[in-house]
Amino acid sequence: MSGEAILKVVRLNKSFGGLKATNDVDYEMTTRELSAIIGPNGAGKSTFFNLLTGYHKVDSGEVYYKGKDITNWPPHKIARLGIARAFQISNIYPALTTYENTRQAILTEQNRTLNFFTPAERLAKKETLELLEITGLSHHANMMAGNLSQGDKKRLELAIALGSKPQLVFLDEPTAGMSGEETRETMELVARLNKEMGLTILFTEHDMSVVFGYARRLTVLHQGTVIAEGTPEEVRANERAQKIYLGEEA
Amino acid sequence: MKRYWWLGLIFIGALILPLVVGEFWVHVAIEILILGLFAVSFNMIFGYMGQISFGHAAYYGVGAYATGMLMVKASVPLPICLVASMITAGICALIFGYFCVRLTGIYFAILTLAFGQLMYYIIFQWYSFTGGDDGLQGIVPPDFLFGATAYYYFTFCIVAAALIAMWYISRSPFGYTMRAIRDNADRTRFVGINVRKYMLINFVVAAMFAGLAGGLLGPFNRSIAPDLCNWHQSGVPVFMAVIGGPLGFLGPMIGSVIYTFLMAFVTGITEYWPLVIGLIIIFVVLFMPGGVIGLAEERVKIFRSKRMAGGAEESTHTESP
Repeated sequence: MSGEAILKVVRLNKSFGGLKATNDVDYEMTTRELSAIIGPNGAGKSTFFNLLTGYHKVDSGEVYYKGKDITNWPPHKIARLGIARAFQISNIYPALTTYENTRQAILTEQNRTLNFFTPAERLAKKETLELLEITGLSHHANMMAGNLSQGDKKRLELAIALGSKPQLVFLDEPTAGMSGEETRETMELVARLNKEMGLTILFTEHDMSVVFGYARRLTVLHQGTVIAEGTPEEVRANERAQKIYLGEEA
Repeated sequence: MKRYWWLGLIFIGALILPLVVGEFWVHVAIEILILGLFAVSFNMIFGYMGQISFGHAAYYGVGAYATGMLMVKASVPLPICLVASMITAGICALIFGYFCVRLTGIYFAILTLAFGQLMYYIIFQWYSFTGGDDGLQGIVPPDFLFGATAYYYFTFCIVAAALIAMWYISRSPFGYTMRAIRDNADRTRFVGINVRKYMLINFVVAAMFAGLAGGLLGPFNRSIAPDLCNWHQSGVPVFMAVIGGPLGFLGPMIGSVIYTFLMAFVTGITEYWPLVIGLIIIFVVLFMPGGVIGLAEERVKIFRSKRMAGGAEESTHTESP
């Protein structure tokens, strides 16, 4: 199952004003891992993703991808390495169709975006339809993405992330706003992507049943600091984690 | 192909136009084509990239001066001059755009305006090279293009070719990448696009077509002046895009037809042309925010939904006699 470290984070720090959003975080992922970061609102989960994908500049610390130092690289360069992310608040192209949204990511990955003269509709047909099929969006292919339901927007989020054929994927609350049934479907898909396509996936999630059902390793973040790490059972047994986070849920 | 029958009609109409109207209106038609090309090139930035440039006339003017000066001072053949216009405008846009694409929204608009005025003052002040505010006279087209009708057909061919090229660009992966940047630049970055680089390329391409439009203007007017670069002139494609509709490819061209035709018509009657166009703009912005194209699409939708509703009614009638 496990391979070499695909992601390694060393003593990462970031503050906004006086607030420490990320505090000396060390983190490591091995290839084909499916793990989660949990923590209350404002624990620094999204900031952590933003630092890893180049959206924010780090104050100090390093980020390594497959042994390469990618600290403070611009987002587009990090994306090209095979690191994709899906956002917590769906971050799509509202005035393009679902199909066009997905195709855009695929054409980018295929390095075709500097093609000026071939009509885009002739390109990447098979790949786009396939990806819409996998993410369960085929029936909405021609709908304006801005008109999709919340759940479908999140699926499209995932489709765009997958369109760039990533090896490492960050999913920020992939099931936020979804119904119970949609949540289950989406997490089954995430598990399948991990198992069958060998993607390394790190996600954040509010719903504890989702986290304990799918993640093989958990990291608990509180006020920017890692306070517990381990298998779901270990974290469940960890007193500090219980007190700070799980206790709130109970 | 059936969807484009109206394009064929416009094409035939444009071909026979000089045969049915007088020379004055042929001149107006040439202006419609040139300003339309200018406006469509502007819309590559406005409609497709989602940024508003208030300095697009800089590239129009630079294109006009490139062709004008090469023809007057070096007697270079017109087709080569037009290519030179595109290249010169493109180089200027590369230099100015490098700074402009670092900003978006109102700051992008202000910086394009500032660079546009910079270009204007350079041309205005540099007497020894550009002729300053005397302008440049004696830009005479080659013999075979001397008459209004001949120059009209020439302009028509060049503008049509340029529009086809821009139409292809708008539907290409590059064109869709511009739409993606317009809709959500951040997302586009995270998918792996260097947003600034793509905005700069688009800015340069748009400027090259503006330069081509400018190049066509000199031999038509026989003279050019620094005012071509001034911010008034940069407002023209903005008006045209807003009137015609920035979300349709041909919107700005339709805007040019309306604007230029009205200007020719109204200035023949009264000197209050700015007042008239001002009222028109206010009307369009308040009552038809998608411009003519937006309105037409809405009508088609209403028409279609009515027809469908009618069809549904019929079917219920037949089902329950």
